[in-house]
Amino acid sequence: MTNSLNDIRHAKSMIFIGSNATEAHPVSMQHILHAKEVNNAPLIVVDPRFTKLAAKATEYVRIRPGTDCAFMMGLINEIIANGWEDKEFIRTRVAGYEEMVEVAKHYTPEVVENITGIPAKQTRRVADILAKSRPTSLTWCMGGTQHHIGSSITRSFCILQLVLGNMGKSGGGTNIFRGHDNVQGATDMCVLADNLPGYYGLAEGSWKHWCRVWDVDYDSIASRFASKEWMESKGFSLARWYEGVLGEEKIESPSPIKAMIQWGCGSNSNSQYNRVVKALNMLDLLVVIDPFPTIVAAVTKTDNIYLLPSASQYETSGSVTSTSRQIQWRFKVVDPVYDSKDDYEIMSLLVSKLGFADEFYKNIKEVPEDITREINKGTLTIGYNGQTPERIKAHMENWHTFDIDDLQAKGGPCDGDYYGMPWPCWTTEHPGTPILYDISKPVAKGGLPFRNRFGDVTTYVMTGREEGQLAAKGVCNPGSEVQGGYSEFKEVVPGTNWKTDLSQETIKNAINRGMAPFGNARARCVVWNFPDQVPIHREPLHSPRPDLVEKYPTYEDKANHFRVETRYKSEQNPDLVKQYPYVLTTGRQVEHMGGGAETRSSKYLSELQPEMYVEINPRLANDLGIRKGDMVIVESPEGAKITVKAFITPRVDEKTIFLPFHFAGTLMGESYLKDYPEGHAPYVLGDPGNTVTNYGYDIITQIQATKDGLCKVTRA
Amino acid sequence: MRRLIASGVLIMIVYAVVLVISTAIAAPTSMDGLTRLFSPEYYAELYGGITGDWQKYGGPFTYLTSDIFWKIYLGIICVVPAVFFLHYIAVGPKVFSHEGPQIRFFSRFTIVIHWLGAIAFVTCAVSGLLMIFGSFVGGGGFIRFARYAHIVAALVFVIPGIIMFLTWVKDMFPTLYDIKWIFILGGYLSKQKKPIPAGKYNAGQKAWFWLSTLGGLTMAATGYIIWEMGMALDTVRISAIIHNILGIGLMAFLLTHMYMSLFAIKGAIQSMITGYKSKDEVDHLHSRYKYE
Amino acid sequence: MARMRFLCDTERCIDCSGCVVACKEGNHVPVGINRRRVITMKQGEPGEKSLSIACMHCSDAPCIAVCPVDAIYQRDDGIVLVDKKTCIGCGYCFMACPFGAPQFPKGNVFGARGAMDKCTFCAGGPEENFGKEETQLYGQNRIAEGKVPLCASMCATKALLAGDGSVVADVYRDRVFKRGSGVNAWGWSKAYDKS
Repeated sequence: MTNSLNDIRHAKSMIFIGSNATEAHPVSMQHILHAKEVNNAPLIVVDPRFTKLAAKATEYVRIRPGTDCAFMMGLINEIIANGWEDKEFIRTRVAGYEEMVEVAKHYTPEVVENITGIPAKQTRRVADILAKSRPTSLTWCMGGTQHHIGSSITRSFCILQLVLGNMGKSGGGTNIFRGHDNVQGATDMCVLADNLPGYYGLAEGSWKHWCRVWDVDYDSIASRFASKEWMESKGFSLARWYEGVLGEEKIESPSPIKAMIQWGCGSNSNSQYNRVVKALNMLDLLVVIDPFPTIVAAVTKTDNIYLLPSASQYETSGSVTSTSRQIQWRFKVVDPVYDSKDDYEIMSLLVSKLGFADEFYKNIKEVPEDITREINKGTLTIGYNGQTPERIKAHMENWHTFDIDDLQAKGGPCDGDYYGMPWPCWTTEHPGTPILYDISKPVAKGGLPFRNRFGDVTTYVMTGREEGQLAAKGVCNPGSEVQGGYSEFKEVVPGTNWKTDLSQETIKNAINRGMAPFGNARARCVVWNFPDQVPIHREPLHSPRPDLVEKYPTYEDKANHFRVETRYKSEQNPDLVKQYPYVLTTGRQVEHMGGGAETRSSKYLSELQPEMYVEINPRLANDLGIRKGDMVIVESPEGAKITVKAFITPRVDEKTIFLPFHFAGTLMGESYLKDYPEGHAPYVLGDPGNTVTNYGYDIITQIQATKDGLCKVTRA
Repeated sequence: MRRLIASGVLIMIVYAVVLVISTAIAAPTSMDGLTRLFSPEYYAELYGGITGDWQKYGGPFTYLTSDIFWKIYLGIICVVPAVFFLHYIAVGPKVFSHEGPQIRFFSRFTIVIHWLGAIAFVTCAVSGLLMIFGSFVGGGGFIRFARYAHIVAALVFVIPGIIMFLTWVKDMFPTLYDIKWIFILGGYLSKQKKPIPAGKYNAGQKAWFWLSTLGGLTMAATGYIIWEMGMALDTVRISAIIHNILGIGLMAFLLTHMYMSLFAIKGAIQSMITGYKSKDEVDHLHSRYKYE
Repeated sequence: MARMRFLCDTERCIDCSGCVVACKEGNHVPVGINRRRVITMKQGEPGEKSLSIACMHCSDAPCIAVCPVDAIYQRDDGIVLVDKKTCIGCGYCFMACPFGAPQFPKGNVFGARGAMDKCTFCAGGPEENFGKEETQLYGQNRIAEGKVPLCASMCATKALLAGDGSVVADVYRDRVFKRGSGVNAWGWSKAYDKS
């Protein structure tokens, strides 16, 4: 998120789209409700479902799943048509605006109504609210991303905020709420198939950078890969790793996947879960490292599995990154209980056995402090270098000195620091950056311009127009040596740039000159290396609107998408809706988390949510002859079925059904209760909702499209 | 037989009426429009469902239980024996000759059933009183035991209760001379020994019969509802109120019944032990009794 | 002396049940016994509101009035507690309570109710503070430690307020003033008006 949870307190309006913060992020609600109450900020909730967050909304917008981009472009169009855009912000800090406006023109409120089902009047009203109550804090979550056009949808959110001039402002920003306490940290360390830690990518230079940080020989690392080509190409992603095992789709990989370690992973959050189970059974080796035996431990029929009990967060310590980009220290409360070991120990034992412990622990003598120090040393791209373990611990000890409103310490040992030194924190004196892209503060005091990442000048393919990508003259942080846009810093230390200069002289040089190491550029509305240079609506792969499929078709099929051939056009069948007439969407419950292995093993949480269910609108239920508590069968176009209890509620509309995805333990009519290690079965078992989530993956990130599939519902 | 069926139907109707009345809860009215969603009135209406039923019966229940019932019970167990004591002093017991011919009044089966019921009934009464005045003992284990005894005794009572009802019901329907009996209060206020208008059972006994059998079974039914607490809360509250009111009546009659059989008529209890009453007693107290 | 009160701000309650789980986990309350519950009205419709309810520790509490064995008593700070050793499990308090607070675990004799269990305002019971017996029968005694009840301290949105009634009222009044909406201190008139 560009701002912080606390900063939402300054919002003058809030829009949540594809986010159910009350259930997924209950702790954030105090700030949201604070803004609603104290600032009288309108709270707009856009969701296919009348969520618990919608219950707190001043404006609830029911949207058809997968059409968020159309709604956003409609709002942008409406704002521009009325002259409500922030003209000065756009002139000085935004690129590719004219090209974007041309695309947005198509999305009139009436067109938006046809696509999204949102009345034109309401689109106009929401645009009016956003225009008149600035700044707006915009939040999205999985409801915005888990579509095959997820990357376009999220970009359209950002463009809306640029058009309104809400970026880099307190109370504004794009605030993507992250899930668990360290999801942001895990993302920053790039536990991903296409990146090295710190978003360095996979290029040779990136590998060499990290080898310098680790103090290991580049060639020794390279020798561990099949070839340099595979070293530098994307791996299988979490969404489709199982295709690398099953061999049912065309894959581009030197070898199928043979072994797997699931380290703190609820596998039932994967779509098409029955196929995941099939793959799990085909692996030669499967290791599950988790405090609880996850469903993986039960569904595997073969003898290929090892369960390693790991410690919970209370039994270990270390640095973690919160959704607000704050780095915090977690202290151990008790030693690991029973046979469990903490993650560091498991890793250390594994590495020793594999025989490269010396290289692995070259810089790490004191665990976990030295791990944080190694992160400080190498993760320069996002400014992870100023948060030393000592500073982080000092923050933890002086909680009371930080202000709840702006998160800055007022006096005390951390005077001037922002809580948790939100990244980028460029030096060990830097206070952290509480709001990204905020040019009202000097860079040394937590200010930041937009990053210069995509060259200084670009010619757009769409229009042939040439545009400078640096910020306009006179637009910069106070105290900047260059009054206006400037490129990123390089060659301060010969042969390096700000990202690769381990001496950090480049960064210090920039800060001393009042400038940001990564330059001062414009935020771009046109991404010339994406299939959709400007976000446009494309119908979900499995669309309930055959008429719109023709008008807004999906992409061409994509070969070698994270090593797997991915179908788009060949998958989109306008007639599918005749057989599978209802839109299927999934989501969270406040009581359970992720795959639910932990929460379903808690007797109190199980008592509160003891059953898997499907939400069906009363009208649809009556049409289908389904009564409250009846068992129903939900079937996906892929042929997977789940049998779940019907929960009749007006939360969903008549065409949509909703499944929580936290359940597991039964699958396609089979119970795995007996297959858990003795005494370790969760209290609650149920069919995983993700068994019936449909085929479909984002064109850029390959995130699974779980929010806009189709299904068939019948009485069991 | 027809009487039996009729009585059964009557009981069913009474129960049905009680149930219907007790479960009738006014449905909360719905409200339209979003404008008032944040108003106090909206909340009052919305949450009316939670406290609304309390206002209906919760209040009366609390008032009756905390301020009324225990006082009446205290009155009953103090005043009734006192009155009888005075009666015993002033009027004295009726004495009949037990020498003359004996008339078989109760079969052995009836006697067994009676005593079974009686023991259970008295246990219920005593344990019930113990619960009501539990605070004088300080609650805890002893009163908890009383509560368990109450439950067990109630279960035990149900069977003899039903049997007693069936055996005696044919003799228990009111007759005209019962009214006369009531007017002279069964002659117990007079020391004179003259025939009292009564059949096999006098009006007092009839009243006691109806109250103890039908009332007793009602006590069992309401008691079950209180014990199980599975119904609508208002049903439980109403059951508790009925249980207490009936309990008061039963307590008064039980004391009377015991006084009559133990003290007011010398040796009357013998008839429930041997099954025989002396002809002298029958001729006086049950003057309309037709010898079989 | 401070008068302890609960207040659930329905504008803020988000139906997360954090209070319920905090209470159960912190006091080791058995499954099926709900010292605190969250009730949601009009679920899934505009106007949906949630409310966290436990014993309100009423002034002139009806449960105290109806208890036949005087097992329930009120402390000077207004906290209503039950002496589980005295309680006979008759259930009258449940019938008298406007908030459904008293709970009854299944006893071991004829399935009859055991001693009543309810919210203690995290103030333990009549036994010795922090004693083994108190902890076992009633859970924590946070009041004696100078802390607010677990449920309120864990409330993510500060919807559930607990503590000195006048301070709680001030906090709430301030919120209502800022919001400019009506006063909806649910349950207060029923629980505290007689004081």
